[in-house]
Amino acid sequence: MTTQLAELDVRPTLRNGGEPFQEIMEAIGALEPGQGLRLLATFKPVPLFSVLGSKGFEHEEREIGGGDWEVLFRPTGSAPGEESPAAAAASDGADWPAPVRHLDNLDLDPPEPMVRILAATEEMNDGEVLSALVCREPLFLLPELAKRGHAWRGGFEPDGQAYKILVRIGAAADPALSAASGSRSA
Amino acid sequence: MIGVSLSRWTMSYFAAALGALLAAELLMMTGYGYPAAGLRAPETLVLVHIVAIGWLSLLMCGALFQFLPVLVNRPLASNSLPLPALICLLAGLAALVLGFVQLAGQIDPSPSLLPFGGFLLGVGFALVLGNLVRTLLSASERPLPARFVAIGLPCLAATVMLGIIFTLTLGGATTLGPMFALTGTGLPVHAIAGLGGWLTFTAMGVSYRLLAMFMLAPDAERTTSKATLHLGTAALAIAIVMGVVTILSGADLWPVLLIALALGVAALVLYGVDVVHLYRARKRRVIELNSRMAALGLASLAASVALLVVLVALGRLGDQIGALVFLVAFGWLSGLGLSQLYKIVAFLTWLECYGPVLGKAPTPRVQDLVVEGRATKWFVLYFVSVWAGTAALLAGAPVLFRVAAGAMFVGTCGLVVQLVRTRRLADVNAEQMLPQGAQRPRLLYSLSNSG
Repeated sequence: MTTQLAELDVRPTLRNGGEPFQEIMEAIGALEPGQGLRLLATFKPVPLFSVLGSKGFEHEEREIGGGDWEVLFRPTGSAPGEESPAAAAASDGADWPAPVRHLDNLDLDPPEPMVRILAATEEMNDGEVLSALVCREPLFLLPELAKRGHAWRGGFEPDGQAYKILVRIGAAADPALSAASGSRSA
Repeated sequence: MIGVSLSRWTMSYFAAALGALLAAELLMMTGYGYPAAGLRAPETLVLVHIVAIGWLSLLMCGALFQFLPVLVNRPLASNSLPLPALICLLAGLAALVLGFVQLAGQIDPSPSLLPFGGFLLGVGFALVLGNLVRTLLSASERPLPARFVAIGLPCLAATVMLGIIFTLTLGGATTLGPMFALTGTGLPVHAIAGLGGWLTFTAMGVSYRLLAMFMLAPDAERTTSKATLHLGTAALAIAIVMGVVTILSGADLWPVLLIALALGVAALVLYGVDVVHLYRARKRRVIELNSRMAALGLASLAASVALLVVLVALGRLGDQIGALVFLVAFGWLSGLGLSQLYKIVAFLTWLECYGPVLGKAPTPRVQDLVVEGRATKWFVLYFVSVWAGTAALLAGAPVLFRVAAGAMFVGTCGLVVQLVRTRRLADVNAEQMLPQGAQRPRLLYSLSNSG
């Protein structure tokens, strides 16, 4: 395979006690179509495998000495691309339980969708999944979900008219749920 | 999908901007600058730059620090650089204004403060541009509104560079021929790059998203919107790039500007088609005050375009350019700006204060932070006085113009009081005002909500 690879070394971040997740997701977001990522980390980043798997990357990892790991993420041929993140969200359903609550927030004035989603998350139990339709990517909601320890996934529906977000309660804060779900991701 | 946090210094920019607007209105009311003084008189330059830099540019910068990340779904490259940038911009504006006052002979003219002001403004805008450009470049995709901003930013750079050249020449710091040529005839290019490219084009781009968002209108990228982007970009490139080349080659600038104007007017007509479509296709039947008042700003833009075409056709652009620029600056740019500010301040204040407790405690709605009935009369007073002021300038009635400027000042004061009340949560029910865990917003800056 001759995929062109960008390189990201998160070892300094990890050694400084930092959390490289956002850095990695930004590097992934900045990749050209067909481009892969060579990631260097101080441990085998297992949770990332499913996160990036759902974004259409296959992985190949090896220990490079000193406890450090090199992981090559390459786009898979059959992967759901950026054009259809909703498909990614749907295939994610395999490792997330089915949503127990659905909200249709399409006709609500902003920021009412955010209010209703946060109100619903407060009434749900850890590990449960909420599904909500909104008319655009709920950008101001996401930092609030992160602060409350929830994981999320989302994407536009195929018609491009609605954005579907899945929220898993407590999954970003609870390592057990996080390992199963692959932490928060798009 | 990372999400967007509150921009820390946006409220500081808004506050400084409103201060500059009030100062400019007071100056106009007292008869300082045009029309009592000439269009190119130092007094008019004082006024124009307090409006263009102090009010409109600071407003736009503050808004972009918050909304460019929303447009491209990437965090702002730096949430701390906007503060030193603001300090440089305010100090630079003060030095520039004092430099013009020196030119007017009202204070000791030596040493000239103009190059100093130009330098500080250059540093301030460079800090702003660097931050916004890095944010734009980090995006994996750039929707249409962001592409308008991506054209507006180089126009700001061009405006600032020309401005710095003017300050060096007028301040006596250079005697180079090309600098003199640009200072002698480059004023229209400087004004078009600033008012047209940086302020109008960026405002148009952002308005596509804001209008769609607040009225629940579809924000699909229409053919007319893309044509607006391309025609507008072409108009600006011709006016600025070809304009500068023409000046340096010593040829007549007017034919170049005329081509740019024709393309620009075509772009604005298509933009008008898009805006009418956004209002008609909205799902929300009863729209809030900000969208109703934005319509008055947009109508002022349409009136500006009509006035421009009529003045060019009558060959009267030269002697009525002051009225046209006044309508563009106060009817269109300030009108749209004030109307959106009214919503943005309420929304950001609500998000900052109640975001952390949403779902955990009863919270007010965004609309509970404002009293639209009270603000409506100030908006109406503001717009009616802007239109009266434009008519007074066209009719050559300086006293009526000063009365209109006074009424604008009163209207703006009324709106500023409403914005401060919103920020202070003064109109929220006492029992809902500060639920457990909510923090009272500060007037002039925001506490970040990124966890």
